[in-house]
Amino acid sequence: MATNPYDVLGVSSSASAADIQKAYRKLAKKLHPDLNPGDKKAEEKFKEVAGAYDLLGDAEKRKRFDDGEIDASGADQPQHHFYRDFAGADDGHPYTSGAGFADFMDGEGPFAELLKRSQRARANRRGADLHYRLAIDFVDSITGGNKRITLPDGGALDVKIPPGLVDGQILRLKGKGAPGTGKGGPGDALIDVEVLPDRRFTRGGDNISLELPISLSEAVLGGRVRVPTPTGEVTMSVPKGSNTGTTLRLRAKGAPRHGGGSGDELVKLKIVLPNSPDPELEAFVSGWGKGKEFNPREGGAS
Amino acid sequence: MIMSRQEFLIASGVRGQTLEFWLEQEWLIPERTITGMTFTEGDVARARFIQDLAAGMGINDEGIDVVLHLVDQLHGMRRVLARLHDEVSGEAT
Repeated sequence: MATNPYDVLGVSSSASAADIQKAYRKLAKKLHPDLNPGDKKAEEKFKEVAGAYDLLGDAEKRKRFDDGEIDASGADQPQHHFYRDFAGADDGHPYTSGAGFADFMDGEGPFAELLKRSQRARANRRGADLHYRLAIDFVDSITGGNKRITLPDGGALDVKIPPGLVDGQILRLKGKGAPGTGKGGPGDALIDVEVLPDRRFTRGGDNISLELPISLSEAVLGGRVRVPTPTGEVTMSVPKGSNTGTTLRLRAKGAPRHGGGSGDELVKLKIVLPNSPDPELEAFVSGWGKGKEFNPREGGAS
Repeated sequence: MIMSRQEFLIASGVRGQTLEFWLEQEWLIPERTITGMTFTEGDVARARFIQDLAAGMGINDEGIDVVLHLVDQLHGMRRVLARLHDEVSGEAT
């Protein structure tokens, strides 16, 4: 920029700081590119004015300029995009309003249609969908329940967990997203629900599985045992001669199905010997002839 | 480029408190996601425009509200005009 900044702003070299500011503001209001979106030359002119004001609006810089220490070229403004470059983009911009031609849209015909298609009014923008994550216990995913999400702004969101929810399921709370403006309704809250793994239960479809340790006596002689289910403990009969891997089915203790009814809980038995060796058991097994003849790695026993 | 609130504040030089006021006035409408607000380069340019209006030209908040309202409408009109131009020149060829 080689032009004298005083000439650019149209002030004399003896102008007061207030006069310089006044002159700049008058020009800026007229020349700012965002106030002249269709005028390609506005940017150049505005930059010249802004550069001049950058120099003269600062008492220190003005003095150095007057003393000949710096010249006007030092006042070039850093390159940046004006808002109009974005607002005019083809894909539309959220702030653009159709209010200025809304009356022309009321009618029928190609022109009204064209206007309707062009309208992307901020005034009628639907609120954004807000995304949240929620981690719930496995048991809650089966039985359902109510959870509360605390929002960053201090508010809270009550979430009803439907029974039988699966990991990664997204719950949509209509109208709980960001507020819209004008006729645009609010967005939705989308809640990505993570089901935390449970150390007892695993899920496969509507059925849930559980490994249940039983004693050797319960396996051999049968008996009644307490079994945890997501809805509480129940009593189950272990049949005589049960084995590790034997799977028993507790009807309708699984996950609720979408259309009604429930899956089952599959209880897989696992024989567990006492922790410390038992002399009585050792003595019995030593004298148990058939036990030695039986080889589980042979034939159809596996 | 999508930026976080913090990145936006750095890129635009706007103070946090000022941003809150602008959001309240709906001068800026960022997208809201899980992690909070996200801003675009268009938002940064719009922020600069608002700063030019306020600090540069000495326009008060009431005035800025009016200016933005009219500028947004102006861009709406320009879009219609651009589309009309495309359709008309499309028919001509």
